[in-house]
Amino acid sequence: MGWDRVRLFKRTKSSTIVLTGLTGSGKTVLFYQLRDGSSHQGTVTSMEPNEGTFILHSESSKKGKIKPVHLVDVPGHSRLRPKLDEFLPQAAGIVFVVDALEFLPNLRGVSEYLYDILTKASVVKRKVPVLICCNKADKVTAHSKEFIRKQLEKEIDKLRVSRSGISEADVANEFTLGIPGEAFSFSHCSNKVTIAESSGLTGEISQVEQFIREHVRP
Amino acid sequence: MLEQLLIFTRGGLILWTCKELGNALKGSPIDTLIRSCLLEERSGAASYNYDAPGAAYTLKWTFHNELGLVFVAVYQRILHLLYVDELLAMVKREFSEIYDPKRMNYNDFDETFRQLRKEAEARAEELKKSKQLDRPVSDRKKQGQVKKGGFEGGNKKKSEANDGGDGDTGKSYKLENGHSNGNHVNIEGSRAVVANGKENASSNVGAFDVSKLQKLKSKGGKKTNAVVSKGSKVDVDPKKKVTKKNRVWDDSPQDSKLDFTDPVENGNENIEVVATDHGESMMDKEEIISSDSEAEDEEVGKESKPDTKKKGWFSSMFQSIAGKANLEKSDLEPALKALKDRLMTKNVAEEIAEKLCESVAASLEGKKLASFTRISSTVQAAMEEALVRILTPRRSIDILRDVHAAKEQRKPYVVVFVGVNGVGKSTNLAKVAYWLLQHKISVMMAACDTFRSGAVEQLRTHARRLQIPIFEKGYEKDPAIVAKEAIQEATRNGSDVVLVDTAGRMQDNEPLMRALSKLIYLNNPDLVLFVGEALVGNDAVDQLSKFNQKLADLSTSPSPRLIDGILLTKFDTIDDKVGAALSMVYISGAPVMFVGCGQSYTDLKKLNVKSIVKTLLK
Repeated sequence: MGWDRVRLFKRTKSSTIVLTGLTGSGKTVLFYQLRDGSSHQGTVTSMEPNEGTFILHSESSKKGKIKPVHLVDVPGHSRLRPKLDEFLPQAAGIVFVVDALEFLPNLRGVSEYLYDILTKASVVKRKVPVLICCNKADKVTAHSKEFIRKQLEKEIDKLRVSRSGISEADVANEFTLGIPGEAFSFSHCSNKVTIAESSGLTGEISQVEQFIREHVRP
Repeated sequence: MLEQLLIFTRGGLILWTCKELGNALKGSPIDTLIRSCLLEERSGAASYNYDAPGAAYTLKWTFHNELGLVFVAVYQRILHLLYVDELLAMVKREFSEIYDPKRMNYNDFDETFRQLRKEAEARAEELKKSKQLDRPVSDRKKQGQVKKGGFEGGNKKKSEANDGGDGDTGKSYKLENGHSNGNHVNIEGSRAVVANGKENASSNVGAFDVSKLQKLKSKGGKKTNAVVSKGSKVDVDPKKKVTKKNRVWDDSPQDSKLDFTDPVENGNENIEVVATDHGESMMDKEEIISSDSEAEDEEVGKESKPDTKKKGWFSSMFQSIAGKANLEKSDLEPALKALKDRLMTKNVAEEIAEKLCESVAASLEGKKLASFTRISSTVQAAMEEALVRILTPRRSIDILRDVHAAKEQRKPYVVVFVGVNGVGKSTNLAKVAYWLLQHKISVMMAACDTFRSGAVEQLRTHARRLQIPIFEKGYEKDPAIVAKEAIQEATRNGSDVVLVDTAGRMQDNEPLMRALSKLIYLNNPDLVLFVGEALVGNDAVDQLSKFNQKLADLSTSPSPRLIDGILLTKFDTIDDKVGAALSMVYISGAPVMFVGCGQSYTDLKKLNVKSIVKTLLK
């Protein structure tokens, strides 16, 4: 679109942050927490993306010039995945929300989705930073971020082998991840991948806000 | 009594729930509604049934497409509340007036809702009372159908019960004795069937009318399963107890025995075969669609559209420039009808095209037209989105990944090919085996088609050419047992994948479907692949829904295995009439995993969603 081209000429950095993850991980709750400081009366499965350009709620009391953030919450339902491709090209950062409570049953789905995102051309070429946000951390049985990181690295390692071993054949992923021969670790990615914890319901979203602020500079 | 009424945005934020009806809903009916119905393009259905342990709910909904709001009412299924539709419409009207995108809290709506609910309940009470007066009339009418003697008596009672307005109709009943009676009963009967059909349609698996099913049940009873004895090609018709004699076409002497099956183990030594290598399977080649042709098609499409809408062209042009019109159902109808016809010319089943159009209409009603767009282009865009959504697989169809996962657990990955007669199961089984071999996966075939002459030999030939082991037990063995033993053999010799070939069977054939269900239940395969040909028309709907239904009914386990994927065959024989893919995916919810497009080993490819949608809407 014309706006993007103008931006390129002016060399202003995009201020779009994309919230994505599997369905039911808590993206919409996080979106409203970031925007209004409350998740209001609850949420249901999203059928459409939630978009908004605003100053984060926690910073609304700050003085001085703060750049508003363009936040997009893309539905996680697999039928609506193509919507992600509409927003990725303009993303300055990706928050990948993971349900830390129901982590193991969804492990394969989570790692496949994460792998797909990390190997997309628009993410690799522009070195878009990714924050893996382990949501629902307020629950007692939620997994720790270290556990989640290790499990994800293991699963992605397996995916890497099964998908890139047949290089010419597999055209689904545009790039391959990691260093061949070594076990995969997020540090091998050309873009920065970090991991954090959060709780959408209680409002513990400071680490997410930090990430957003880091990549959408005023 | 209503259990709950919610208002939420399409983005997922709940705006308002009724606090009076504080009952917590068991399970997660709203989320399931969204995932299984609204996102599956079934939003044209009347209602949705949800079962959770301890509760059986029915959900009804309505959209406000302009504001992007969804209104859902939940109530217990056993109470057939009549006022829900009306209530939803009233709530929609009232809420749209106070809605503000910036507002998150609508507590003042509680009062409005309370009033609306009282109004709706009162109106329903009135209707019920007037219906009760009518009911003795209809009851008696039905009885009168059976014994004409009672008709006169019933009529008299009718005229007593009714007063005023109904008295006239009472008179007319008297005059037109048998005719009106018969008509009314029929109408009521068909209405009941249609209502049932609609409710059934909203459930996940089936989308067929109860009446159709009843008709087919009676048909199925007449059909008998002729299990032909092997070893002779003589057809045995169970009805006639005389065996048919072989036709003698000329005076040549007859062969005494027509069984040409090689004794097992003999074929391999005689022929030296080099493993066939036909190059890369088309599964692994990327389909290159030139973007130029896409742009061209769109332009051509837009130019031809003004020709079709001559009626009201000027007014619609005016509206499209002004861009302020709210879309009404009547505006959408001509465009939708044209789209539906176009879909049907592309071999989409009529039922499916109808449901899709309803769903698109539900999502566009009340929306404002953007300026400089025509209604037809809005409808087209919405339909395109809906089609892409349906054809995009709901879960990962990465078979290679699943095979690797099973390999780690040291179990063979079992795929069962099912389908009706003659769709290409054995041929495509060989193609899938070839593709898997190219990816360095060891495959074993299991010949569980123990019915058709030559089925085992056919697979044996494929196995010889591909140089893979085949497990066979000849003819007339129980396919379920053969499959079980094949899987055990595969675990023993370390094969990664077992491809199980079954006999083709019609979806109405009860004994055969039972046998299939037994095979699946006994062996619990990892993938149940339904093989369907792209040439099929409206029968696709019937085939898939019956297969799924029979697999669910005849299975003895609490969570039956249904069809997990579709293999579409003979794709090269249809030029652009690609609608069968859409019908099959819509009715079963299973993704298309492979497409067979020719008769050699490499002719197997993946479904390209964008190109199919383009072809469908051309």
